[in-house]
Amino acid sequence: MSLKDKAAIVGIGQLPFSKNIGRPEEVTALEAARLALDDAGLRPQDIDGTSKWSIQNTAENLIARNLGVPNLRWFGEVGYGGGGGCGVVAHAAAAIAAGMARCVLVYRSRNRGSGGRPWAGTSRERDQSQSESNETAIYAPYGFVRPVDQVAMFTRRFLHERGYSTRHLGWIAVTTRKHAMRNPMAMMREPMTLENHAASRVISDPLRLFDNCLETDGAAAVLVAEASLARDCRQKPAWIMAASQGMGPRNVTMNNFFKDPILESPGAHAARDLWRMAGVTPQDVDVAQLYDAFTPLVLASLEEYGFCKPGEAGDFVEHDGLGVGGNLPNNTSGGSLSEAYVHGINLIIEAVRQIRGTSCNQVPGARLSMATSGNMVPTGALLLRGD
Amino acid sequence: MSEQAEAFVRRTGGEWWMPYWEAGRRRELRFQRCTDCGTWRHPPGPMCPSCQSFGVEWARASGRGTLLSWVVCHPPLLAVWKERAPYVVVLVQCEEGVRTMGNVLDLAAEDLRMDMPLVVDFAPSPDGDLVPQWRRA
Ligand SMILES: [Zn+2]
Repeated sequence: MSLKDKAAIVGIGQLPFSKNIGRPEEVTALEAARLALDDAGLRPQDIDGTSKWSIQNTAENLIARNLGVPNLRWFGEVGYGGGGGCGVVAHAAAAIAAGMARCVLVYRSRNRGSGGRPWAGTSRERDQSQSESNETAIYAPYGFVRPVDQVAMFTRRFLHERGYSTRHLGWIAVTTRKHAMRNPMAMMREPMTLENHAASRVISDPLRLFDNCLETDGAAAVLVAEASLARDCRQKPAWIMAASQGMGPRNVTMNNFFKDPILESPGAHAARDLWRMAGVTPQDVDVAQLYDAFTPLVLASLEEYGFCKPGEAGDFVEHDGLGVGGNLPNNTSGGSLSEAYVHGINLIIEAVRQIRGTSCNQVPGARLSMATSGNMVPTGALLLRGD
Repeated sequence: MSEQAEAFVRRTGGEWWMPYWEAGRRRELRFQRCTDCGTWRHPPGPMCPSCQSFGVEWARASGRGTLLSWVVCHPPLLAVWKERAPYVVVLVQCEEGVRTMGNVLDLAAEDLRMDMPLVVDFAPSPDGDLVPQWRRA
């Protein structure tokens, strides 16, 4: 038994992204849920499940109570922030495949643009991040507390072992920005060149400002429905062909430097299960949304998910290989680097738009559409298909 | 030091980390080692991932290692770290097979080379306690 093709994403909703959305996360979560219901042509009474990030501040009972959901039969959550998004949808599909729910609301609202940084102890997410205190101890005495530092540590070794350069990271930032320029919802729409990337200020050498995602206030929701309901909805279903999660050995959040091989991140584990369940190969994928909280994550994912062999990802991304018409059109809404950073729910929504044919950077005839979650933490991946 | 900064400098980690920090104050680098199968492990925890034994000792490490990677941190940073920026953080492959981290002493970022030999030393973290740090071997 597997969850393959048992459920589809039938509704998507997102609010305009901003630095300061001006109202609380519980309100924007409800607004996003209402948009997703309208999009699907469903009512709150149709919802019988919820699936959320563990660090989502707004609990499912508040959502269900305010929406007027009569009976929530199933509710679940996944940890690890940016690593959780595809897992949250995967859990929804699993609950549906198991008969525990028929229509699951997945939601993420996050006031991070206006809400401060967890690593600086200035945000509401602070308590959750500090609960991993055993792991904070590894880093804190050395001033090594920002996510960018941890990804930079991986990156220097990765570039060294593979023979990639920071110019390859630049290609990822530039291509993603090019996509964002055609997306009216994207926060960053100014043109960017490789020279702009190379001249942006250093944050954690070897990573620069334009290797980093955006601080964002945002809210989005998707509805996952069982097959019979999905066929009756307003929109073309994005069938969940495969969904997987992965952690790998000796994992330490936020990054894992303590295992061998040192460059293998959790995405490599999620990848194996994804292709096994889907019964297709990376070459069959038409369009991808590879999690890009930082540019090097995309480079690593290209290897881990089998789009290229170790050492070949640099050539793969050069000269717009991730652009529409390139080897693998990627982050077609502008991704976390240029559209918005909301723990990747925008990437999942863009994967659905590509199936529907409604992306602002539409890949003609896209039928297999992929999304991944943060691959320096326990992660997950989704493969969606059209009819 | 501000309360906010202190929260990130203090060596939390609970009971599994206490012997590590206590050893540092004595200028010793110690890691957990399984008393059943002899496997070293770090970061610390209650069980040996090789043989699932709870038997553990805090054994003295040689203090020799090699440089696996490093970063140079620039602002935006918390106030206590901003004063020291830019500063280097290293990831060290210890002779015993475990990995650990630290800052570097008497080494600039330009001096660092991948896989170069390093040796442990001890210097205060901003909260004043001696912690393991690294220098050229
Ligand atoms: Zn053992």
